Amino acid sequence: MAETGRLSAPAAPLASPVTLVRIAIVAAILVTWEAVAASGLLFRDVVPSLLVIGRATAGLLADKTYYWHLGVTAGEVGIGLLIGGLSGLAVGILLGSNRLLGRAFEAYLYYLGPTPKIIFFPVMIMWFGVGPGSKVAMGTISCFFPVALSAAAGMREINPVLIRVGRSFRASTWQMVTKIYLPAMRLPAINGVRLGLGVAIIGTLLAETKLSNRGIGFLIINAYSTFDMPRMYALLIVLFVLSIGVNAVVGRLGGVDSIRRA
Amino acid sequence: MSSVTRAAAAPRAQSAAPVLVVDGIVKRFETPDGVMTAVDHISFDVAPGEFLAVIGPSGCGKSTLFNIIGGLLDGYEGRVAVSGETLKGPHASIGMVFQEESTFPWRTVTDNVAFPLEIAGLPKAQRVERARHFIDLVGLSGFENRYPAELSGGMRQRVAIARTLASEPKILLMDEPFGALDEQTRLLLGDKVLQIQDQLKQTCLLITHNITEAVQLADRVLVMTYRPGTVKRMVPIELPRPRSSEIVSSDAFGRYVAQIWGDLREEASRGMRDDEAHRGGGAP
Repeated sequence: MAETGRLSAPAAPLASPVTLVRIAIVAAILVTWEAVAASGLLFRDVVPSLLVIGRATAGLLADKTYYWHLGVTAGEVGIGLLIGGLSGLAVGILLGSNRLLGRAFEAYLYYLGPTPKIIFFPVMIMWFGVGPGSKVAMGTISCFFPVALSAAAGMREINPVLIRVGRSFRASTWQMVTKIYLPAMRLPAINGVRLGLGVAIIGTLLAETKLSNRGIGFLIINAYSTFDMPRMYALLIVLFVLSIGVNAVVGRLGGVDSIRRA
Repeated sequence: MSSVTRAAAAPRAQSAAPVLVVDGIVKRFETPDGVMTAVDHISFDVAPGEFLAVIGPSGCGKSTLFNIIGGLLDGYEGRVAVSGETLKGPHASIGMVFQEESTFPWRTVTDNVAFPLEIAGLPKAQRVERARHFIDLVGLSGFENRYPAELSGGMRQRVAIARTLASEPKILLMDEPFGALDEQTRLLLGDKVLQIQDQLKQTCLLITHNITEAVQLADRVLVMTYRPGTVKRMVPIELPRPRSSEIVSSDAFGRYVAQIWGDLREEASRGMRDDEAHRGGGAP
């Protein structure tokens, strides 16, 4: 191990040392997993072998109802992101542009921001029912905070002379927002949306696992309660891959934008 | 009698009503040390087509005056009127060019220059066409699709000037537009401004602390006193037009510079003593 480390330290042409270590980590986890599964130390059903999990994953991906549930969750997250993101952006711009409001309200945002939003779930069930409504609400309140805080910070970083230019050309409030504020704060705003998407997925899935009859969170908790461990692991793996994919897409939006218009 | 020299001083100013009237402006600011009078009873007129430079030492209230005339600062005494209309906030007839870097980094040169036209709601085809015209005027043809980050400081400031000109203001109001640039670039951009002013018969009001710049460009130079800012002297610059930066080597030019420096020197040294006293505090 030490030898490979020393050999590949200066930029290796094919795979960087970081990539090699990453592959090694995954390989080590898989080997350990398989060893534990084969040893029989834990219940076989709790730690199924990789082969069984692989078969369950293939079965899941071939299952039509899985895609329906995926669609439900994606829809909930999407609507939550839309409502929470837009309202977060609006509130952030308002707080960032008005010093009094900003100082008065931002304390609450900072207190509520890190609070686990799941504590609001019972309230959301009472307000919006046990169906997708309460899941959308959870996604919405989850992503509202990071988006609002990033937008408020982004507003304050705008070069003040650009705002004076807009005023001198007598831009309306709407024109100021769409033509100066939003483009000037696009990087912090995209970053806020990225963080918001992550917590919207968490909030929605958490709500689905608590009380629901549809969605990926429901499938996971359903597999758990029927003790179908391979299927549960398969769901986790698929979810993991999907989250990475979505995050990469949103990250790319910010990256491309910043390169083209630096 | 003296009509010849008068004509040379303000060739387009004869018998026309002033396009800009600044009447008895007083602006006070609350500071921790009490009320500070930044500008004290400043009055002047600008005739159509005239180029007026306002010069003064740091801390004479030049920028305050710029913001008041541009309509970005209120809460002052006195009156600013454009073509007889008293100012309440930013006015379409006054186009401002700022001292700071003010191009929009996310817009191309064309989209920057078209900004005021977009605000006015012009259709895209017309916006682009008019923007092209003003880009050409400031000598930036070929850079239409570049972003400000790809241009030099002098080019960016020309974009800012083109953007303001595109709104077709009656008065081009500039606050040390070349302050951040080196001397050679500044002189050459001064030529560009002279050329544009001649072409458009543009009325200009330039705020500056640079004597060479003021004499090179202006028909009249208003010298301000150090805090509170008042009108110390109005100096007509009777140099022939069209001018170019070559004029800076002439004797007449040198005499104007010396005369204005004579007025300014006193004010600038008062400013410097004041500044040093503030920094020194109770030091011996």
